[in-house]
Formats: sequence, C-alpha cells, structure tokens
Amino acid sequence: MSEAISLKVKSDRAQLGEVIEAVEGMAEREEWAPDFSYRVHLALEELVLNVMDYGYDDNMQDIEINVTSDSDAITIEIVDSGKPFDPLSDAPEPDLEAAVEERRIGGLGVHLVKTLMDQMHYKRENDQNRLTIVARR
Amino acid sequence: MTQESGATWTVADTKNLTVQGEIKGGVLIANTAGRVDGANAREFQDALETLLKDNANAMILDLENLSYISSAGLRVILLISKQLQGKGAKFGVCSLSSAISEVFQISGFDKIIPTHAAQSDALSAIAR
Repeated sequence: MSEAISLKVKSDRAQLGEVIEAVEGMAEREEWAPDFSYRVHLALEELVLNVMDYGYDDNMQDIEINVTSDSDAITIEIVDSGKPFDPLSDAPEPDLEAAVEERRIGGLGVHLVKTLMDQMHYKRENDQNRLTIVARR
Repeated sequence: MTQESGATWTVADTKNLTVQGEIKGGVLIANTAGRVDGANAREFQDALETLLKDNANAMILDLENLSYISSAGLRVILLISKQLQGKGAKFGVCSLSSAISEVFQISGFDKIIPTHAAQSDALSAIAR
C-alpha cells in the first residue's frame, strides 16, 4: 500500500473540491477506514483553506499539495509562497470553555488539525511556507 | 410550505448536502445528510435559517446521515445556536457519528450545545 499524488491549485476556494476529490480517490483505492479518512480530509481542508483565505491577497497564487501514503501513515505536505504563517505557533487558541454567547468563531480549524494529527511540522524556507502533517493509520 | 406534524419539506438539495425540515410533537427537526465543508457551509447556513424563519421556538439538528463536517460547518452550528439561545429558543443536536462526536468534543461544542445520542432523547430534553 503506497501511493503518491501531487497537485497544484490556485489560492481560490473554488478549487477546494479538486483537492478533496484527489484525496477521496486515494482513500477509495486504498480502502481507508471511514474515521481515518475523515481525519485526513478534515486536516487537508482546514489547512488548505487557511492558505487560500489568509496566505495570499488574491486568488491566483499557487499552492502545492503532496500526499504520500505507505503502510503506516499518510503524509501531507502543503507548500505556498504566501505570508509567513506557522499554524503551530501563530494560530490563535480557541477558548473552548466559553459559553455559547461568548464563544468566538475562529481558530477552531487549526485546533482540530493539531489534535487529530499525529505529527505536524512547519518550516519557512526560500520564502515559502512548508507544512507537513502525518496521520498514522 | 407544509408544516403539519410528520410532513417533511426540503430546504437544501445539492450533490453533497440535503437538509429537510420536519415537525415532531411541535418541535422542528432539521435532518441533515451528506457533508458540510468550506465549499457548502453557506448553503447549510441558508437552509437552517430558512427553516427557522417560520419555526423559531425550538430546533433539533439531526446529524444521523451527515458523514463529514469541518470547522466551516461547526461555525454555522455555533451561529445558529447563538441565534436561538439569544431568543430564548431551545436547540439541540443529535445522532452524531463517532467521528463527528470526536470533532464536537475537540471543539468543546459538547459543553455548550446540548448533544443527544438519539432524536428521541433530544425531543424529550426539549419537551422538559
């Protein structure tokens, strides 16, 4: 069980579907367990949308996504040339204890990814953000 | 729009998302099926707001047939919950899959939004 896909999309929310479909194809071919598939899709969506929404000032810039699978884990690498952003340290922590009426919206996506993924690494090099996440099967 | 007890009506019907309203014992049930992500969260919000226009006193969001929700969809549930609680209306969520239940817990939503195992539990909680 090993496969690698690589795709390049624009920083445009309309391209989210293309990213999800590519990974859905991989999930079907490799028969991922539903809960595992959910975790991977969620992480991918949250992180890619973050770059699309906040990384760039327009929707015509490139985002590169590499997904590799082996028998133990799925590794996703997201590379963009947008504003420096390390989700591990720069994303606001959501206040999980606040009451409904006080609960602020935001920061939740990255919090979910941090909790659901087994590893997460960030590097800024050559003016690029390079984020790698690992989900163990 | 029919709102007789037992009747259902559809407020969203796309490739990835279906939302249907239903009245049970005077309570509005929003049956949600498919997936809610960053691409269709706006449709999800519009569908729930359409349902609430005529039935603003209590709502149960039944997620039994929802296979996926991301933070974009959770944001909608939080907004709806705020709207209803602000009006003193009752709101509850029921029938979450194990994966969605985990996402609710990680988000802290299980502490701020009444979450029930089955629709019947949600209905009795609202009737109380």
